[in-house]
Amino acid sequence: MTSLRTEIASRPAIVALRRGWLHVVLVPLALLWLSPLVWILVTSLKARTEVFDPAAGFWPQVLRWENYPAALSVAPFGTYLVNSILVTGGILAAQLVTITLAAYAFARLTFPGKNLLFTLFLLQIMFPIYATFLTNFVTVRELGLLNSLPAMIVPFVASGYGTFMLRQAFRQVPTELADAARLDGCGHVGILWHVYLPLVKPTLIAFGIITVVTHWNDYMWPLLVTNSEAVRTLPIGLGLLAKSDSGADWTRLMAATVVVVSPLLVLFVVFQRRFVDSFMHAGLK
Amino acid sequence: MSNKSTQDRGGLPATRRALVAGAAATVASAALLRGARAQARTKLQFMYPVGVSGDINKLVAGMIAKFNAAHPTIEVEAVYAGNYDNTEQKVITALGVGEPPATWLPINSALQAFLGLDALADVTAKAKADDVYQDFIPGFLETCVSDGKLYGLPFQPSTPVLYLNRTAMKAAGIAKAPETWTELLDVAKALTIREKGELKRWGLTIGGGWHDWIFECYCRQNELVPWTKDKVLFDNPAALDALEFWVKMEQAGVMPKASTWEGSANDFMAGRTAMLYHSTGSLTNLRKSSSFEVDVAFMPKNKAFGACQGGGPIMIAKKQSDAAIEASWTFARWMTSTEVQSQWGRDTGYLAVRKSSWETPEMKAYLKEVPQAKVALDQSAYAGAFLQVPGYHKVREYLKSALDRTLAGEIKPDAALKEANAASNREIQRLLRRRG
Repeated sequence: MTSLRTEIASRPAIVALRRGWLHVVLVPLALLWLSPLVWILVTSLKARTEVFDPAAGFWPQVLRWENYPAALSVAPFGTYLVNSILVTGGILAAQLVTITLAAYAFARLTFPGKNLLFTLFLLQIMFPIYATFLTNFVTVRELGLLNSLPAMIVPFVASGYGTFMLRQAFRQVPTELADAARLDGCGHVGILWHVYLPLVKPTLIAFGIITVVTHWNDYMWPLLVTNSEAVRTLPIGLGLLAKSDSGADWTRLMAATVVVVSPLLVLFVVFQRRFVDSFMHAGLK
Repeated sequence: MSNKSTQDRGGLPATRRALVAGAAATVASAALLRGARAQARTKLQFMYPVGVSGDINKLVAGMIAKFNAAHPTIEVEAVYAGNYDNTEQKVITALGVGEPPATWLPINSALQAFLGLDALADVTAKAKADDVYQDFIPGFLETCVSDGKLYGLPFQPSTPVLYLNRTAMKAAGIAKAPETWTELLDVAKALTIREKGELKRWGLTIGGGWHDWIFECYCRQNELVPWTKDKVLFDNPAALDALEFWVKMEQAGVMPKASTWEGSANDFMAGRTAMLYHSTGSLTNLRKSSSFEVDVAFMPKNKAFGACQGGGPIMIAKKQSDAAIEASWTFARWMTSTEVQSQWGRDTGYLAVRKSSWETPEMKAYLKEVPQAKVALDQSAYAGAFLQVPGYHKVREYLKSALDRTLAGEIKPDAALKEANAASNREIQRLLRRRG
């Protein structure tokens, strides 16, 4: 009787806990993830002397919005932003086509030398990008592309990693589905388009995120193959503020960082539901 | 010129037909001439790193625009190439495909590396025909010299200096900056603050990441230049004595075992270290970002004052036409001219390379306002080049690793230096053999 009473008395708490336990775990984690972003934002509004002065406290005395124009005046960030979007978008579009076709071939077709070829693809993943800098540079130069936007896209139009990821995903799709489509009169392209691609959407999105983040942040290759400001990308603008021998110029660096990361953040927030949905579907399948 | 030729023809007793032909010829020759003039505009690339702050980009762009406006036959394109390492990588890549930029700005330590690639134009004769040997500060010019030949013009030299938190020193009742190693240790002890065994403030921090550069200064303060152009001398007793002094400071608890270049500057600004070895190039940033009074002093001496130079010269590619080399020289010469250097030094904190630059009225006014800037110039009288050996990248890593492991207590100073010495010389020999 007493145990029942206590159970009833504590029921709302239990219900709340049951409903909200996930929040108890996730809220601190979310705060942990958010803390660097908050620090970036707060620092971008401080005076230079406030950044490292322990007596100055966490919040800026006055919000110094002038850090933003000061940071953006260092380089033509508008041009850089457009270039970054074109380069990253170009790489993503090209990669989605090439990895889809390659992965389909490796997953579903039989042809001589398939295993050897696939091994070579895997080897490409293992080479650090720096190891191929010079040969890529020579190739790009022979194509006459130095100091242009395509120079930053061409070396990355194929991806061994993407091909591998997608091949694994394709192999999990039951062959019966493809056979049915073939009976309905689909060719390879039709099967790929109507059967495989819709089923591996989560993999495509996951790969898309990885590749966008990688190439959005790439610094060394764009620096190497471009010379004029008209074709340079955002990380090079950031480098102007960060890569100095006298210590970074923190307030302006953080202001520029806010500008550089916000397109990605906005993109993620806008498509968040779609991203999460597709991962959910992947889990349910 | 085309006007003149028309007049000449006009003076001739000409038929109408000849006049028309003459006019046509004039137009044609004018067009030809314009074409020739456009072709004659020599195009040069200048690859430069950003060493001290974001605004260098704008400063350089302004200088280049001024140069191009004043030189109708030369057109320089400035290419930002990251930091010193990135710049070197970009230039070497371009050299690899046989299309080097006309001029670039590496760190002076890279001299032997570029000579090893046979990449540098010898400008000794040009410099002798000019006032370079008279007006450039000798210690700076020396960083571009190998075997008595000049390969480039110093453009933005810097040295390490000792930064002082004056406010903290006043609070501790210290009036004078330390002048000798012994005084340095004493002052560092007085400035270190521990509360209940917990450290609140270091007395001294040696900027990590470039601590091998500062270590060479310590060697020079012991009257040792720890390298020649084909070997290093890290196992010399003078070097050992310097490292043992570092260990002594570390064991006295006045200095951290390790730090990073940017982190140590941040620590100084935050008051977590009272003294700091850092580059003169950081002066503007440290002054503007600290909430206390910042002062600059000579690096304390032991047997002698000694320093060595960071920063870089403008180098000129060998593999280009004589006309392009001549134009590159004109550019390098302009970038290191009295007025340009005076302005550049005041804008950045780098040391102007010409004696005459320091005598300009603007520079004198600046020194009155920022007397700290003078310290580095005075100290540069004791400064030489920094570690100009082939493969200096690897040699620096060997030395840094030896210093780090010694301060961390993993290895004895003499063993560490011997090991770094052997590894470095092996690497240098390997490169020299390959060069043949």
